[in-house]
Amino acid sequence: MTLSRQTWTGVACALAGVAAVAAISRRRRTERLLHIETSRAFNRSSALLACSVLTDSAMEHYRGAFSNVAMYVPPAVATCSLLAGFHGGADRTPATHTVRHAIYWGATLTGLAGTGFHLYNVMKRPGGWSWQNLFYAAPLGAPTALLLSGALGAAAERLRNQPAHEPRLLGMPAGKALGLLSGIGLAGTAIEAALLHFRGSFQHKAMYAPVSVPPAASALLLHASLTRPQPRWLARVVLQLTWLVGWIGTALHVRGVARHHGGWRNWSQNLFNGPPVPAPPSFSALALAGLAALRLREGERR
Amino acid sequence: MNPYTSRYPGYDVLNKRDTPSWDAITRKVIAQRMATPSEPGFLDVVRWRALEALCARIVPQPADRPQVPLAGMVDMRLQKNAGDGFRYARLPPLREAWLIGLNALDEESKARHELPFASLEHAAQNTLLTQMQHGELSSSHWKGMDATLFFSQRVLPDICGAYYSHPYAWNEIGFGGPANPRGYVRMYYDRRDPWEAVEAKPGKERQAMEKNRRVR
Repeated sequence: MTLSRQTWTGVACALAGVAAVAAISRRRRTERLLHIETSRAFNRSSALLACSVLTDSAMEHYRGAFSNVAMYVPPAVATCSLLAGFHGGADRTPATHTVRHAIYWGATLTGLAGTGFHLYNVMKRPGGWSWQNLFYAAPLGAPTALLLSGALGAAAERLRNQPAHEPRLLGMPAGKALGLLSGIGLAGTAIEAALLHFRGSFQHKAMYAPVSVPPAASALLLHASLTRPQPRWLARVVLQLTWLVGWIGTALHVRGVARHHGGWRNWSQNLFNGPPVPAPPSFSALALAGLAALRLREGERR
Repeated sequence: MNPYTSRYPGYDVLNKRDTPSWDAITRKVIAQRMATPSEPGFLDVVRWRALEALCARIVPQPADRPQVPLAGMVDMRLQKNAGDGFRYARLPPLREAWLIGLNALDEESKARHELPFASLEHAAQNTLLTQMQHGELSSSHWKGMDATLFFSQRVLPDICGAYYSHPYAWNEIGFGGPANPRGYVRMYYDRRDPWEAVEAKPGKERQAMEKNRRVR
């Protein structure tokens, strides 16, 4: 008696199913290491920040007609950082990835150099260091976002090489170091939002949100990093709120563009004239990093 | 016309008609302006000839490109009686000032040369206009109107204003036309938005022409 083709197909499917279930359960069995999960969160946070930087720098440097060849660098570097973030976000290997690590250092250095370039651009304009130039010359805070994207990613890569038990970074407990890093990043980003929302004379009440919630989150996160580790529900809630502020802010900026003369039909002008749509997700990115750091910090011994 | 004689070679603001730079109202207004006839609607033929000659002295136009219908634009303004919303107390209202002024100009011309203003040589016309500018014309034909004020407050603003409201003049000076609905987003020295004209640097006329073709 010969078995029909259908029967064979059925058997093959069943075997494949068994194999798949076995694979999944085996994957479930591998222990999820907290510090690797934290690393992945930082990779993802770095990617979201890089996404902001990529869109923002590509748009604004196009507006500036790429008048300096160096203006092509940040979009290119941010693209690498974004790809590294995607790769790292999906990677559970408990070891530093050399290429990703190098990209992140590149992004950090590019951000640092960019801040120098932007400072030079502000100072060379008539009036030098003045409100007018801080508002309308190359924005000082923008390259810092790339620096942060690189720093968060580099921290994630270094953390992967640490032992699962009591990982350390920069000579201190890893949770503490990452908390400080994200806390300072949040504060810096809030300062930039404050400067630009002040330029916009806080014409909408929601413009106060990014200058109140993220600074509070930053303060709570820095406090949690510097004091004895314990569960910090308030810091977590305010960080989650910061995450939300980032996305709501994006929606409001989209609406801000629509409110400009001609609305989205005049997108080629209003994307530049209106509030920057890629900017607010930076808060969400840093809130993600902050939450991951807090999770790690809460389990530390001192 | 040799495009390289222009500072903005190849730039034609009218090319933006069907691009996002213009909206329905802009198209309508500019079409009306372009359709201004070169014939009198308000003035009689004698004063129209004087006005044409006056316009040609105030803004001489190159012969190798389409002419801005200056006299027609001023006449259209008189026809609509479109004032400025203010006037010098010592000048009569718009229509009256122009009627007196053009008439007096012809009379002063006849008194000196036995010819109307339009029939004079350019040099003689210039002399007469200089005298008007300096207040040396004050016959009874001015009906008490100050010739200097008429020159500085009516002749110059009305004719030059009409000239620079015309797209041909915009092409000449590289003006982008109405900012509505696009708006400027590159507000810094020596930066241009994609809808603005490109000024040719010496020796780079061809490149400027290429770019001006893409202005929209």
